[in-house]
Amino acid sequence: MNQPTALEQILITTKVEKVMNWSRATSVWPVTFGLACCAIEMMAAGASRFDFDRFGAGIFRATPRQADLMIIAGTVTYKMAPTIKLLYDQMPEPKWVIAMGSCATAGGPFDSYHTVQGVDKIIPVDVFIPGCPPRPESLIYGFLKLQDKIMTSSLADRYKDIFEEVG
Amino acid sequence: MFKNEEMEINLGPQHPSTHGVLRVKLRLDGETITHCKPIIGYLHRGVEKICENQTFFQGQVWTDRMDYCSAVANNLGWAEANEKLFGITVPRRAQYIRTMLNEFNRLASHLIWLATHALDIGAMTVFLYAFREREDILDLNEAFCGSRLTTTAFRIGGLREDLPPGFEKMARKFLAKFETCLEEYENLLSENRIWKKRTIGVAKLSAEDAIALGVTGPVLRAAGVPYDIRKAFPYAAYAEMDFEVPTQTAADTYARYLVRMAEMRQSARIVQQCLDGMPEGPVMAKIPKILKPEVNEVYHATEAPKGEIGYYLVGEKGSTNPYRFHVRAPGFINLQCLPKMAEGALIADIVAAIGTLDIVLGEIDR
Amino acid sequence: MTDPIVPQPEAAPEAPKGPYVYDYAASPQRQVVMPKTVPLPSRRTYLAEVKAAAEADEAKWQKMLADFETAKTKAEAEGKDAPKPPVRPVPRKDDNDMKTPWPEEAKDADLLLLQACLGAKVEEVFEQAGELTCQVSKDTILEVLLLCRDHADLRYEMLADQTATHYPAATGWDYSVVYHLTSISRRKRLRLRILVPEGFIPDSACAAYPSANWMEREIYDMLGITFANHPDMTRILCPDDWEGHALRKDYPVVGWGQRDIAFREDRGGMIERIALQKAGQLGINLKQPKAE
Repeated sequence: MNQPTALEQILITTKVEKVMNWSRATSVWPVTFGLACCAIEMMAAGASRFDFDRFGAGIFRATPRQADLMIIAGTVTYKMAPTIKLLYDQMPEPKWVIAMGSCATAGGPFDSYHTVQGVDKIIPVDVFIPGCPPRPESLIYGFLKLQDKIMTSSLADRYKDIFEEVG
Repeated sequence: MFKNEEMEINLGPQHPSTHGVLRVKLRLDGETITHCKPIIGYLHRGVEKICENQTFFQGQVWTDRMDYCSAVANNLGWAEANEKLFGITVPRRAQYIRTMLNEFNRLASHLIWLATHALDIGAMTVFLYAFREREDILDLNEAFCGSRLTTTAFRIGGLREDLPPGFEKMARKFLAKFETCLEEYENLLSENRIWKKRTIGVAKLSAEDAIALGVTGPVLRAAGVPYDIRKAFPYAAYAEMDFEVPTQTAADTYARYLVRMAEMRQSARIVQQCLDGMPEGPVMAKIPKILKPEVNEVYHATEAPKGEIGYYLVGEKGSTNPYRFHVRAPGFINLQCLPKMAEGALIADIVAAIGTLDIVLGEIDR
Repeated sequence: MTDPIVPQPEAAPEAPKGPYVYDYAASPQRQVVMPKTVPLPSRRTYLAEVKAAAEADEAKWQKMLADFETAKTKAEAEGKDAPKPPVRPVPRKDDNDMKTPWPEEAKDADLLLLQACLGAKVEEVFEQAGELTCQVSKDTILEVLLLCRDHADLRYEMLADQTATHYPAATGWDYSVVYHLTSISRRKRLRLRILVPEGFIPDSACAAYPSANWMEREIYDMLGITFANHPDMTRILCPDDWEGHALRKDYPVVGWGQRDIAFREDRGGMIERIALQKAGQLGINLKQPKAE
């Protein structure tokens, strides 16, 4: 075994990108934004038994301007849709969206005149969580998947689409 | 010399204290609210329309998703309204199990109210304590019907399944510790000076106003009117239960807190009686596989944790769908009194007023 | 010499034709099936139906008897055995725990009192499933509500619920508006009902019961009935610019074209464009159909 040198004991070499991703992934602050039934399960995920804070995502911010993650927890209606779009636009980059539950994913059981059939018609979504409503464990699993996504993201990827478009 | 100007501000639909997607338009004179207008409909999902196009048996799943904090109470109202429409007699054991689950559900709903109301006013700790006990109740739900929140607990005519083995033991274990938990919440809040300052004398609503505005539930009982549908028009097995209807006369936010805390004790009492006196027998009435009503209309009201939930059903001869399905949602009617409570009060008190009404937007907008 | 059986390559599955798009226009949720009957509970119609059914039953029995007589005379003339005399059919009884509630005659003191006080303004009173129903004429609803609230023997303090139903198959009227009153002190419930045609503007109940405010707004939003002297007759659940009234029977469940919303523009809609391009290479059309 190679003993680490004195310098290696106090230094870690890594990529800037990795450090940025690591710090982003472990301190994702969601916006306090509940729509319907799933919001209760989101609250339960933040409360005593499930404790969302373990993953660094327990600080629910009351304003989108301080948040990184928007959990769409519930049914999106036509009356609410412009507001959701506005809230999403108010969030600073980098930002992520979790569509929690089947309503936010695809309209769920509410195939009716006033329901938007999935929040991905309005804003881009990173993780879809099925369930009606999903259990807090599902939300935590979905959040871990989001963390994986953040960890593997790179700055180059993020703007690749735009570079391609520009040529 | 100084210009007097009223300011109009907008609260919601995304606001942590509005319990969902309520929007309130406020006009302020300094810090005093001069005009208050709640705007709803941000969660209108067309439940009534969907239900009219589905069969009677399918209708229950939509009632879960209306008041998602107390799905069992909604299920009970729906099942009983249908039983009234068809004239079905439900076996006694099923009635007892329904009563018991309904009271467990009342506990869960009041615990959510306590947690969020205290969180809105600024007491964070209660939130963690109340959700701890609520999880135990959800475990009981899960043991009975496999789902935590959207239970679809009952069937028209009774229950799909009897109680699972071990349910009684779980329920008794919960009841044994629940009284100490209630004391724990009360230690945190009842004599808490900040809590009392934020609630006593805030969001008053007199009994006359409450009745004129159709307000029911704990908000009405905190104004001194002992109107509880479980006593006034007994349903399920409530006629055989021994319980009291707690009332207060102060008609403010603190009185509503006391009423709900006392109600939780009564609910625990009812559950205990159900467990002790559980009769034997079948849990499902003999009914045909396809239900077709005669021409009939029923309005059946039950006491949900938030107030009177009424189901209005019109049956069409030979049709498997309800011709008309309408819900008298307690939150919808109770929210009408928000301007009455808030106008003339300070802006900070509207958070207490919204919290004390215990609204759930899912049933308000439907 | 026979060729060994060479396994023939299976025919490639047919390339999928047409766009893989859920056809909302053809979906059953979008079809409107107009009701053919008028399911308005009423003792008068019930009695008429019972009478008609009894007459039809009797006519059927008489026809069976007549058929039997002709068959008997014919058999006697031909010298054959006489046919068996017919047996009157008994309605089959179902073995279940159901007892259908029928509209019964009004015996409750409240209904009789209302009838005595209002006279010809009351169109019908009956009891069904333990509930009291009183149908009054549509012009007098506010007067009746005030009477129910203020009369010393009625004292219906609370308007618990108010709603309406669309009956497109009815003649002479289109909607029924029902008021569910509760007397807290007397522990009683009463249903008042009016039948209104399209375009008729009934009086608002707000003057008698302030709780009617939002319920009438909801009725306006969902069914399009306006109320006179209402403080704020605007939509409550749907947005202000919504078209149509959702709970009318001619309104489909999925609505009229409100599905196609397009205000998603992530980075100038690039993701969508790329997705559409990639899907186009695979021969899949992801584009949403335009609503008619």
